[in-house]
Amino acid sequence: MPAKSLVHPAESTLLPRLLAGAALLALLALAVPAQARTEGADPSWQPQASERLVKLPADHLRKSLDSDFARSELGEALRQAEADIALKAQTLGDLQGAIERAKGDVRTELRHQFLAEKQQYITLVARRHDLGRKQFKTRERVFEQLLEKLGRDESRSSPARLDLMEKQELARKRFAASLGKVDLNLLATSAAPESRYAREHTRNAAAIEALSQAIREHPANREPSVDGEALTKQDYIRQLLADAQAGLALLDQEESILGYMAKLVALDASALSDELAEPDPAGSPAREKAGLAAAVEFFTRR
Amino acid sequence: MFRSPNLYPLRCVAFAAAAFAGLAAGAAQAGPLENLERERALLIDTLLAPELSPAERQGKVEIGRRRLVDLERMVLRDNSLTGRNTPTVRRAFDNYDLTFLVHAAAEKNVTILDNWLEQAGLTTQSLMGAKRGRR
Repeated sequence: MPAKSLVHPAESTLLPRLLAGAALLALLALAVPAQARTEGADPSWQPQASERLVKLPADHLRKSLDSDFARSELGEALRQAEADIALKAQTLGDLQGAIERAKGDVRTELRHQFLAEKQQYITLVARRHDLGRKQFKTRERVFEQLLEKLGRDESRSSPARLDLMEKQELARKRFAASLGKVDLNLLATSAAPESRYAREHTRNAAAIEALSQAIREHPANREPSVDGEALTKQDYIRQLLADAQAGLALLDQEESILGYMAKLVALDASALSDELAEPDPAGSPAREKAGLAAAVEFFTRR
Repeated sequence: MFRSPNLYPLRCVAFAAAAFAGLAAGAAQAGPLENLERERALLIDTLLAPELSPAERQGKVEIGRRRLVDLERMVLRDNSLTGRNTPTVRRAFDNYDLTFLVHAAAEKNVTILDNWLEQAGLTTQSLMGAKRGRR
């Protein structure tokens, strides 16, 4: 109580003015976000386009990359940023409601706080954008490397090797086509029972076929497709690459939105500052004059 | 016919082919393809061996043929050979009729020996038309 009584009413309006000024300065600082954003921890995610990744089925490749990202520092930081943004948005909503209900100095104070929170919201979103950009750029790099490796694998076959593979394919086709005839021929000319290899191979082949069928029909092994058209691994990786690039393009667009938001907050802060700085018709200058005149009496009276 | 001394050079060819295949393989561990080459050489040697009686030859050929059938199938089903660009593998798949002797013979309804002789360029006509002489 005594402390409060010492504060002149004029000083109570000074505080929000100073705060608004500080907010304005802070918003001006937002104009150089790149510098601000580089401060603090720099979470990393460094996936490698390994041979294992190249050999994975297309959809498993994406899942593996997603899972690796979720476990990384960058993934953790992005999740944290999302949570912070959600909390800040909630705070902004609460403050907006409170401003509508408040009056007088409390309202001014809340407006200032609202501006400060909006500024923090923009900083958080900018941070999330940086992290998201890093994620998409890393994905882009990995998919580029995967495509390069897949292309290299295909072009690695020399003409001699391709020729050999063609001959092997022809030999297998010929073998498969003549298998029944050969078996009949062998049975007709031999009284001996089937060899162990032939017997067990037939049994194992049936088991392998049953398992292969189950694998083909397994929901987790479904090949990715677009409009019912199955995609090759290269096609799918190109699709993922396009998705990553689309993510980057959307981030660019969101940067513009963020820029407009920052500008609006700066304008709001400026307007609030101007509003508070406007001279009150029954305000302080007259009172100051009166106070000084009254003080004259302290010097003239004896 | 098999006791004929004229077939002695053929046996030499068969052994030489087997020896060459063995050398070309070069690996310490023999795979199904190397075993196939060896069994095939032994079967051809049996077919051409003049010292065997027809019954002995028939018995040995039958055993060899059954073993060769399995080996040929193992090689044809061996995915590890796909694209393995070595001289042995290349040569094996260069001539199906010669490498997969039993299957090719059964497919064409001819005997193994007839199939092999045909692949070696020796037909009845060419043999009957041959004359002994000095080059």
